[in-house]
Amino acid sequence: MTDLRLEAVSKRYGERDETAAIALQEIDLTVRDGEFFTLVGPSGCGKTTTLRTIAGFEELTAGSVHFDGTEMTGVAPEDRDVGVVFQSYALFPHMTVAENVGYGLRFRAPPAGTDADDRITELLELVDLPELGDREPGQLSGGQQQRVALARALAPAPDLLLLDEPMSALDAQLRESLRRQLTEIQSELGITTVYVTHDQAEALAISDRVAVMNDGQVEQVATPQTLYQEPATRFVAEFIGDNNVFQGAVRATEASVQSDGGTVHDQHEEATVAVGTETFTLPAVPNGTDRVTFCVRPGALSQSADRNRIPVTVETSEFLGETVRVTGRWNGRPIVLQLETVPERDELTVGFDPAAVHVIETE
Amino acid sequence: MLYLPVGVVFQNAIIDEGVLTLDAFSDVLTDPFYVGIFAEWVADPLAIGSHLGAVAGWLAAVSISLSIEYPVPGVGLPVPWLGIDTPAVRGGLFGFTAYQAALSTIASVALGLPAAYILANYEFRGRRTIRSLTILPFVLPGIMVAVGFYAMFAQGGTLNSVLGVVGLGPYSFIEWNPLAIVIVAHAFYNAPLVARITVAAWESVDIRAVETARSLGASDRRAFLDIVVPQLLPAVLTGALLTFIFTFMTFPIVLALGGLQLATVEVWIYDRVQRLAYTEAATLAVLETMLSLGLTYAYLRYESAQTGLSRAASPPPKRPLFPDLRTALSPRRLAIVGYGVVALIVFVGPMLSLVIGSVTDSSGLTLDHYQFLLNRQLDGESFQTLPAIAIRNSLLFGLGTLAIAVPMGVVISVLTARAGRVGTIVDTLAMVPLAVSGVVFGIGLLQGLVFGISLPGGWRLQVTGTVAIVVAHAVAAYPFVTRNVSPLLSNLDPAMVESARALGATRYRALRDVELPLVASGIVAGAAFAFAISIGEFSSTVILASGTDSYTMPVAVERYLGRRSGPAIAMGTVLLAITAASFIVVDRVGGRFEQ
Repeated sequence: MTDLRLEAVSKRYGERDETAAIALQEIDLTVRDGEFFTLVGPSGCGKTTTLRTIAGFEELTAGSVHFDGTEMTGVAPEDRDVGVVFQSYALFPHMTVAENVGYGLRFRAPPAGTDADDRITELLELVDLPELGDREPGQLSGGQQQRVALARALAPAPDLLLLDEPMSALDAQLRESLRRQLTEIQSELGITTVYVTHDQAEALAISDRVAVMNDGQVEQVATPQTLYQEPATRFVAEFIGDNNVFQGAVRATEASVQSDGGTVHDQHEEATVAVGTETFTLPAVPNGTDRVTFCVRPGALSQSADRNRIPVTVETSEFLGETVRVTGRWNGRPIVLQLETVPERDELTVGFDPAAVHVIETE
Repeated sequence: MLYLPVGVVFQNAIIDEGVLTLDAFSDVLTDPFYVGIFAEWVADPLAIGSHLGAVAGWLAAVSISLSIEYPVPGVGLPVPWLGIDTPAVRGGLFGFTAYQAALSTIASVALGLPAAYILANYEFRGRRTIRSLTILPFVLPGIMVAVGFYAMFAQGGTLNSVLGVVGLGPYSFIEWNPLAIVIVAHAFYNAPLVARITVAAWESVDIRAVETARSLGASDRRAFLDIVVPQLLPAVLTGALLTFIFTFMTFPIVLALGGLQLATVEVWIYDRVQRLAYTEAATLAVLETMLSLGLTYAYLRYESAQTGLSRAASPPPKRPLFPDLRTALSPRRLAIVGYGVVALIVFVGPMLSLVIGSVTDSSGLTLDHYQFLLNRQLDGESFQTLPAIAIRNSLLFGLGTLAIAVPMGVVISVLTARAGRVGTIVDTLAMVPLAVSGVVFGIGLLQGLVFGISLPGGWRLQVTGTVAIVVAHAVAAYPFVTRNVSPLLSNLDPAMVESARALGATRYRALRDVELPLVASGIVAGAAFAFAISIGEFSSTVILASGTDSYTMPVAVERYLGRRSGPAIAMGTVLLAITAASFIVVDRVGGRFEQ
């Protein structure tokens, strides 16, 4: 199989510098062999452009793409051995389903031991559409078309599978079942996969690792769990799941830093930080820190916690079954809570444990 | 290929014996024969006071009266007549051309809108067929339509035969009011265009928006006025503007039905060319081209300001036209029936008259007219116009046109499908042939390529009349290829080509396997249009073929028409048969010509 490396990949549209739109800015990424890797971010962040540079549809302004250590600059899309599934599926309307699936086999031999017809049958079975080979694409439902597109991309046994928002045109239930089917097929085949989505929940649910992109740059690459618990930037903290992000000035530092032999030992157990008129107790921050940006997940804010308590004016409550998502305000700042029951009063007091705080940035 | 001939015409108009001069223009612009009262304005532009005084005096002399008239001679049918009595205005040649174009536009819109209403709102047998038949006028040769109208309205025409049954007539309609016949013939051409564009707009109206207006308190009528009409208006204006452009440049219909008595600019240019007055012709041609280019520019600006028509998610529902007898007798349904009769007379009458006229004469059924054509072919002298040669030339030129126009049209489609400024510019330039009349183009080719152009180094660029005719046809025809291929090409999902390439197809293979099969129907339809355009092209052919044996069927029709109408009508019927065949091809492969 294949690993994939992007080195300082930049993409600029337009000729002149002052009008050039920067699509990608020095992207470095490594996708490991067999990994399910997702690019996630808001629209216009450059995730699709990144995928298209991997497929060879976009020429790079600078940087390079490597498959298994081989530089792919100047290699035409048809010579890259990648399978691509687009948001629009892009099935060929003038060919049957079987002809669509078999199209890549006109140019690349099917895996050893099979002929083209066997391979088409095999792939249609893999995506659970064994009977539909003779149909026209127009006769299929959206979900079926999506699976045909996947079968078509996989038929020539590509080194790399690239999926560009393949689920976004489908309804929520279908999306979930297809997502499960996709991850099963992916792990069964062990094919290196790059998946593009704007849906952070989808990214967390299906990926081995996720790259969060914003404004043509990679904000963080991590496993879904790390991304959720330890966002590296304010953007990631706010983009991935609900979050309460605060910024404050460090007020009290109790102990000093002992330095022995170049290693810095941070002695602080806790720090006191002023946010507006309130002061919070946070985990220790490095000495000399003036300001700190930190976040507290809604689930960590509870009415029973006895530290860092703040009054919240309730604005909306959404009943989600197991939990209730409550939005409100504290000192004019938006606050998101996750409670077990719909609050009965408009005013709540909630608190959080310093251990539940994740510090994003210090300066 | 397009710009060279136009450039030659321009050069001819401003260069007199090697000297750059605008004399030819000032001669035309100050001659009341051409520009009417505006000649004074051009001659003395600073005398604004006296010009304004003249306008005020004219306005004061306008009187409006209402009286009972008996407009049909010999029939005591009283009609309230709104008389608008205006003092005579000398509009000159250009004024008259604009005047008949304006009347033709009004007639086309008046005839086209009811058709659009019926086609967009009612379901009935044959609706789809009629809707697709609205593209027919584009492939009908103008001279053939003119002969059809002649066969219907002439002294011995079918209309007089029908009236004779009830003891009326015969009337000489054409001599009595040739302008009216010309205008109806123009409506024959352009009303379907207006109807087609309007139906497309009507069907793109989202009925949910109308329902929203109703739920907000608008009456049926108000909702129509507030929601539907504003969405139809741009389409109607587009149709009207195009009609005005086309009828401003009208040529074969006026030439055949009105002659020099009703000369428009185009007919006069043709006449000047026949009399070898090339400088005057070129000057007129440049003026006409500037006017029509201006109009076309206005049209393109207007069109691009419109948002594209997409089919609405929920188009208005269609009611059955005649669900039961009671509804069928309601005033609205009766009005529709009445319109249907008028439409039948205007659209089917001339074509039917053409066929009937070709097999009848004053004594009844006869094959004499075809016999004449056959005899002419067998016994005719080589200087005479021989039918078989006309048919052969038409078919050969048609094939030649295909060979040039199809590749050219496809290449232009591919270029315009690319996004960005280049695409837009190419698209606009590619539509310019619509604004340059065939006569002007013919003169350019004649004076440029056929008479020859001296090139540096003693070379001379010169082509034969035949080649020039094919070039002229190809230029007239390729926009139809482009207009058929471009929508298919721009609807192609670019991800489709990218999918093919990711699967291992080269760019060329992807073009062959994916793009071409998907636009093939557009290419075939465009080719059929191109062929039909070539078969029917009259304006530039008649100039390039004059005095040679490169005449085509339409030219032959016109030459016969000058002497005896019967053979012309028979020749027109042959033309109709061949044109109909290429239309059937267009229909089979789902051709289109939106706007």
